[in-house]
Amino acid sequence: MANHMLPRERCDYSAIVDRPPLKLPDGARLVFWTIVNFEVWDIGRAMARQVLPAPTGQPLLPDVPNWSWHEYGMRVGAWRFFQLFSQLGIRPTLATNARVCEDYPRVAGQALRDGWEFMGHAYDQLPIHACGDQAAMIGRALDILERFTGQRPRGWLGPGLTQTLETPELLASAGIKYIGDWVYDDEPTVIRTANGPLVTLPYTVELNDIPMMIVQHHQSDYLLRRTIDQFDRLYQEGKDRAKIVALAIHPYISGQPHRIKYLEQIYEYVNRFEGVLHWNGLQILDWYLASRTDSAIEVAA
Amino acid sequence: MLPTERLSYSPILERPALKLPGGARMVVWVIVNVEEWDPTEPMPRTVITPPAGGSPSPDIPNWAWHEYGNRVGFWRLVEVFDALGIPAVLAINGCAIAAYPPIVEAALVRRWEFIGHGFTQRSMQKAADERDDIRRTATAIAAATGRRPRGWLGPGLTETWETPDLLIEEGYEYVCDWVLDDQPVWLRTRGGGIVNLPYTQECNDVAMMLIQHHKAAEYYDRAIDQFEQIHGDAAGGARVMALVVHPYIMGAAHRTKYFRRALEVIRSRSDVLFWTGEQIFDWYVAAAPAAQTAT
Repeated sequence: MANHMLPRERCDYSAIVDRPPLKLPDGARLVFWTIVNFEVWDIGRAMARQVLPAPTGQPLLPDVPNWSWHEYGMRVGAWRFFQLFSQLGIRPTLATNARVCEDYPRVAGQALRDGWEFMGHAYDQLPIHACGDQAAMIGRALDILERFTGQRPRGWLGPGLTQTLETPELLASAGIKYIGDWVYDDEPTVIRTANGPLVTLPYTVELNDIPMMIVQHHQSDYLLRRTIDQFDRLYQEGKDRAKIVALAIHPYISGQPHRIKYLEQIYEYVNRFEGVLHWNGLQILDWYLASRTDSAIEVAA
Repeated sequence: MLPTERLSYSPILERPALKLPGGARMVVWVIVNVEEWDPTEPMPRTVITPPAGGSPSPDIPNWAWHEYGNRVGFWRLVEVFDALGIPAVLAINGCAIAAYPPIVEAALVRRWEFIGHGFTQRSMQKAADERDDIRRTATAIAAATGRRPRGWLGPGLTETWETPDLLIEEGYEYVCDWVLDDQPVWLRTRGGGIVNLPYTQECNDVAMMLIQHHKAAEYYDRAIDQFEQIHGDAAGGARVMALVVHPYIMGAAHRTKYFRRALEVIRSRSDVLFWTGEQIFDWYVAAAPAAQTAT
């Protein structure tokens, strides 16, 4: 670990007001980036999240109630997403555990048929610190997605955005071009790794149903309120400087019957505005690399 | 010393009324907290927990979430202060001075007051050498601004039994850790009195958004409720209200407007002063000298 760069060694501090503004094509003000997360929760392990801890808070193994709660997302919730996005003609980025292709080929296959971008999201849903051979896990996950989709993913999101200090090196050498784990800016940035640069895209822990609904316990309609507030502000700022609104959703949370209408209303709201592009991560990456004139362009290869 | 040895209990209604200049009823002061989080340590706060819990290190997502405040969020807050013509107090970690020069520069050109906020964002009870931490913070601020800080806020308001003594010995004049009154108070130390200014954990975005998980709009609602009550209370003597923000919380795009609206409403009242900490300190020391009150 001592041999690996700290975050500050990968990218210097930079105040956004000191940078030349990025501009989107055709006078667009803002990119709306939807990221759907599909996961596999191994029934043999502690569940990734819990909606209902056991009486007296005892650890539970197997944890059937919380496994089932997540499974609902794959059986039912995901199909609400597919319906919504196909109606809207939006093709989101899918951050998916590779094991989804093995355990839920019906769901992964639908995303593929609907033209969603597949983004690497580990083999299954464990913090990246806990996987024994990280390089092997990353390679395995990308190989599975490549076999399933015919294309090697260029984007990566750690489970729960987790990284160790060596993760960026391993991702760069595995062919990854952009990551979502660094939620530290409104704009894409380039970070250094020993194996070449990586682009960070502004993924989100703010407009994300896990922190909002599962960690902070907000009411369902707050996803709509917060997204409108975020959108309004970034749309206003997008007049002078390209902005990106990322929205991260999970089928077992936002795919619930009592929440889906707030997700639908988000798109009704933002689609009333001119100059909003529904792009996936690859489109944002390609635009950003084309916007830059310096050596970072080499990441594009 | 125990807290009760530093000051005696005093009900606010039984004190001589404090008077502000120009017939103002109350003072509002606004504190912006700028921190640097060490990516090799556990994060001071988190917004996202890892799958299946635990606290694996390094914690890059929560480090990055905080860093957003200094790269992007801080500049939204600056815009609010500029637009409304309100002075801010910058409570800054000593180590953040070197990490974020553009933030230091922006605060300097606006003549914001700098106060010490620990050398790093860690409990003062974990500092290996507390005096050294307090001294290095003052040195870093003095080197960057040309003035030693007069005020101090512990990281997370933390203190040891000795903190007020060390602060006065190291040249600080006021502290903000004791949220026990609507007026400044004198605290006894082994080196004479130090003033405590009314800071807040109530109108504070860390407590409200990260601990209690309120909606962003609650910042506005609570600030206005707090303001109206204190404004009314101030008929019996001047009072002080604090508002606290952190760039990574109220500087998030979806929250800044609630902070701005609260300030807009308060600023529309003609009998309210927006002061820095040292303005409150200087006024209070003149109005209630230590000799009368600190016995």
